[in-house]
Amino acid sequence: MIKVTHVTKTYDDGKVRVEALRGINVEIKNGEFTAIVGPSGSGKTTLLNIIGGLDTPTEGNVIIGETNIAQLSENQLIDFRLNHIGFVFQSYNLIPVLTAKENVEFLMLLQNKSEAERDERTTKLLKAVGLEDQINKKPNEMSGGQQQRVAVARALASKPDFILADEPTANLDSASTANLLDIMYRLNQEENMTFVFSTHDQRVIDRAKRVITVEDGKILSDIYT
Amino acid sequence: MIVKIAFKNIWRNKLRSWVVIIAIALGIFGGLAVISTATGLSKMRQNNAIRTYVSHLQLHDSAYLKYGRLDDTINQQADIITYLEKSKKVKGISPRLKVESFIQSAGGTSGVILNGIDPEKERQVTDLNEQCIAGNFLERYKQKPPIIISQKLATKLNARVKTTIQCSFTNNMGVPITGIFKVVDIFSTSNSMYDELNAFVRLEDLQNLTSIQGSHEIAVVLHEGKEVEQFREELISKFPNQHIASWRGIAPDLGYADKMMDLVMTLFLIIIMLALAFGIVNTMLMAVLERKKELGMLISVGMNKRKVFWMIIWESIFLALIAGPLGIFSTYLAVNFFGRVGIDLSFAAQGLRSIGLESTLFPILDDKYYVIISILVIITAILSCIYPALKALKLNPAETLRTA
Ligand SMILES: Nc1ncnc2c1ncn2[C@@H]1O[C@H](COP(=O)(O)OP(=O)(O)OP(=O)(O)O)[C@@H](O)[C@H]1O
Ligand SMILES: [Mg+2]
Repeated sequence: MIKVTHVTKTYDDGKVRVEALRGINVEIKNGEFTAIVGPSGSGKTTLLNIIGGLDTPTEGNVIIGETNIAQLSENQLIDFRLNHIGFVFQSYNLIPVLTAKENVEFLMLLQNKSEAERDERTTKLLKAVGLEDQINKKPNEMSGGQQQRVAVARALASKPDFILADEPTANLDSASTANLLDIMYRLNQEENMTFVFSTHDQRVIDRAKRVITVEDGKILSDIYT
Repeated sequence: MIVKIAFKNIWRNKLRSWVVIIAIALGIFGGLAVISTATGLSKMRQNNAIRTYVSHLQLHDSAYLKYGRLDDTINQQADIITYLEKSKKVKGISPRLKVESFIQSAGGTSGVILNGIDPEKERQVTDLNEQCIAGNFLERYKQKPPIIISQKLATKLNARVKTTIQCSFTNNMGVPITGIFKVVDIFSTSNSMYDELNAFVRLEDLQNLTSIQGSHEIAVVLHEGKEVEQFREELISKFPNQHIASWRGIAPDLGYADKMMDLVMTLFLIIIMLALAFGIVNTMLMAVLERKKELGMLISVGMNKRKVFWMIIWESIFLALIAGPLGIFSTYLAVNFFGRVGIDLSFAAQGLRSIGLESTLFPILDDKYYVIISILVIITAILSCIYPALKALKLNPAETLRTA
């Protein structure tokens, strides 16, 4: 469960002041499949970064499970991210010198998981995203859609509480987009994995079970479909 | 895992990595080449001095060094010579009788030390015979006893081979003595001070003239230059009343050259390491800056800063680990090759001779420099990538991911 209360975020570089978030209150329960939508510059990325502990709120709290991550130190946050949150970014998701298998394994290595456990889970996850025949390929030998699927598998590998994805389909063609959505949806249905993703794409919005619309740093609407 | 990623990372930009590796290797090669050449030159100067006039060891009676009197001869001479001749370490010995004398020809006068030597024995110890222009050395001919003077003295006295020369001194009783000699040869070493001060006659001629038996000095040359100090200790314990000096004590300037070399080499090593550090800082900084996004991603998904830091450190360690052996190995090959064949410097032979050097240079590199360089390269590599690595830690993940 993610609980965001009274969160504001102001960027101030001394010259310009940008109020990216102005009082966000939202709760996301386990097992949800939530899209965050809104025009460019509305604050979607800022909100996802704050939920994911990549950025700290100016005011307010973010409670994940039992932990108020607004109070963690930088190093504690890194550890928290490793063990509780899965990330899928728009691009630059993977380590270019490693194969698909090694990329998925990477987080488990950081978690000091045993080799047996790593092997088993990597195989299972790459199969779940339909890449069991690509395990030894490097990122630049795969299509954009395949790379994003590896990223999803990697995000799942550390057994996170939920997965955050900031515009995961922005660089994909429609077939790859549909394919990635299918995979995420199935993982949500079958494994009860929580997904929170931002998007501009209407076809992606249509697949979401909950759509939160942000505008001007505020929540405009919050609809369960 | 981090080590493995680091290793793979350095091959992402193959060209750049190779440029750095080759630059580092060349730096090491160049530095070691200079060091080995300089060492070779210094050794050559030392060896020349030892061979032409210093010898490895010299024995004197302690009183002779103090007072320099004619009758302060080596009192255990027979024992010492027997001992030295028996020793397997000794290559040659030459007893010398030394008399300060006034030297005079029709053309001029000068002060000189007359060295009474046994030509056959002297041949074993110094290459004075090779420095003689006429090749007569101290051959006795006609009635007059032979003398060899230096080119320098010859000019001063306006003397040539076959010129008759008169030497005068007072003996230990205060009686003035004069000897007539015939110049049979003229020598010239690389040390002009030495040349001006020394003239050579046959030992028995000088003994007859002075009525003194024995000698003032015994010069010793060993088979192995390394054994000098150890053998000196041995002699001192056997003959405690003698003053026994090694070439380092006799010609301290030759030893200073060693010290100077150490200083120059230290300076050189520092320069090499600075160049190395500069290369690595530059490369790693570029590598970090162009991978900002990827590093940001790694931190985002939970790779802690310590691991990011070590990944960068390992990358530069690998660069150094490839470049170091490359440079060291090529140096080793070159030094070994030229150490055997020598480097031909005959184009500058004239100038070299005047400072006591020969025209073929054999570079020498002490093994310790390979070890020192290896250690320094690794340390420098680690130190110089700390800054780029810290730069990587300062990355703000949210920031790096945002900027497309
Ligand atoms: N580091 C920053 N410094 C200053 N302003 C920032 C910074 N990051 C974001 N902003 C501003 O905050 C606002 C919200 O940006 P954000 O990236 O969250 O929007 P978004 O909804 O993700 O937009 P997009 O759909 O284009 O990705 C924007 O006005 C943006 O310019
Ligand atoms: Mg955004």
